[in-house]
Amino acid sequence: MTAPLLSLEGVSRGFRGDSGVEELVLEVAAGEIVALIGLNGAGKTTLMRLALGMLRPREGTIRLFGVPLPHLPRRMWAQVGTLIETPPAYPELTVRQNLRLACLLRGTEPRCAEAALGTWRLDAVAARRFRRLSQGNRQRTGLALALQHDPRLIVLDEPGNALDPASVLLLREQLMRRAEAGAGVLVSSHHLDEVARIADRILLMNAGRLIGELDPAGQDLERAFFARIRADDTHRADDTHRTPDGDSAGGTRGGPA
Amino acid sequence: MMRSAILAETLKLLRSPVGTIGTLALVLGVLALVGGLILGIASGSPRLVAQAKFSGIDVTAGWQGLLSTAAQITAAGALLGFGVVLAWMFAREFAEGTVAGLFALPVTRGRIAFAKFAVHGLWVLLVGSALTGALLGLGLLLGYGPPGAEARAGLARQFALTLLSGALTAPVAWVASLTRSLLAGTAAAILLVIIGQIGALAGTGAWLPPAAPALWALSEGTEAGAAQLALAVLTAGAFAGFTCAHWARLQLDS
Repeated sequence: MTAPLLSLEGVSRGFRGDSGVEELVLEVAAGEIVALIGLNGAGKTTLMRLALGMLRPREGTIRLFGVPLPHLPRRMWAQVGTLIETPPAYPELTVRQNLRLACLLRGTEPRCAEAALGTWRLDAVAARRFRRLSQGNRQRTGLALALQHDPRLIVLDEPGNALDPASVLLLREQLMRRAEAGAGVLVSSHHLDEVARIADRILLMNAGRLIGELDPAGQDLERAFFARIRADDTHRADDTHRTPDGDSAGGTRGGPA
Repeated sequence: MMRSAILAETLKLLRSPVGTIGTLALVLGVLALVGGLILGIASGSPRLVAQAKFSGIDVTAGWQGLLSTAAQITAAGALLGFGVVLAWMFAREFAEGTVAGLFALPVTRGRIAFAKFAVHGLWVLLVGSALTGALLGLGLLLGYGPPGAEARAGLARQFALTLLSGALTAPVAWVASLTRSLLAGTAAAILLVIIGQIGALAGTGAWLPPAAPALWALSEGTEAGAAQLALAVLTAGAFAGFTCAHWARLQLDS
């Protein structure tokens, strides 16, 4: 049995004045698209930052390609593609220069940048400085930066932001094609319909914890999403107000309407 | 991967208006100030002559006056100019959100920070060469004739002063990285200039790293020597080390 491309085992991380994320357990296998959904502030971006070594966990183990993160050989990072929040492109460089810069830092052939310009329909703006691009073109540049080197593990935080319908289709095709080719994908999104179309598994996050899975093929995903969130909120409120002898003081903060 | 990181940082500085404006400001700005002061003093303006004497500038005409004026201006201007550009090189990654792209790479962030220092150092070398060459041209233009041995030594000191001033801005990178702020980095550069100027005026500047190179260049080595310059270089190296270590442990927790 092959090791998952990404695994989080009991990972917790707090912040000053914020509970952060707690006891995260997650696996992304080769060929699998795993979607993370949750309300704003649920901890999706924090989970992704932890998975990519941008944050160190207080507890737990994170493995990439079966290797604990602190011991991952540097060269293995060339097999990871990420887009977390804003596209990491330099405003004074053109789109092509940004893509080539990323090739240089990853140690990959510069020609992968040319292929990415075509794939992401960036040819027309290839010679334009990044700061002069529209939001949609910026996001597509970010996706090209994340995926141009054919990574085995893909971690994307709300990749559909600012994309037009044609680009959303392109993103969907790209992710599904790469998963079929054996890549593992972890993607967060607020677009439940879109997530249902591409994901093999949908994980639900609330208040810093993974609280369960939703069936991508299930009916009325939106209703199921809010029902689970509300149930979790109620459960946590009950726990908070429970007296030391086990009696519930009652009351919840309520879920979304 | 070190070579890749240096190439990447070089491309970023070359394509940025910050690098171009910084170069022009340091070379042409210092040259214009020196030329203006020299011509003002030569015109016999008593106010300018008094101010120049107060600042420790040699007001005699010729290479010595020119190089003394250049050293005085470079001492403050280079710390500020090199410091602001270095602050930008580090703080921009946080301000523009590009720091996230420096994770998940085969090259470590400690090496990326080192590459930034290396490219900044190369740029300082270029600016130092251009400024020294421009001062030589200015002296010839003012009719001082070919530089003699003393003037050549003065030009060499001017070159060394520019390089040392560039190296001494290393604490600016540390502050810019810790605070993730260009403004804080710029404030650190201004603070270095103030410390240098106060140290020089108080007469205790030789052991203050930001003041030592200027005192050495202006006094032709009598007020600051090898020990003080070595302390200045070691201080710069220590702050560069702190900065690289900070980048190696960097987390995106804000």
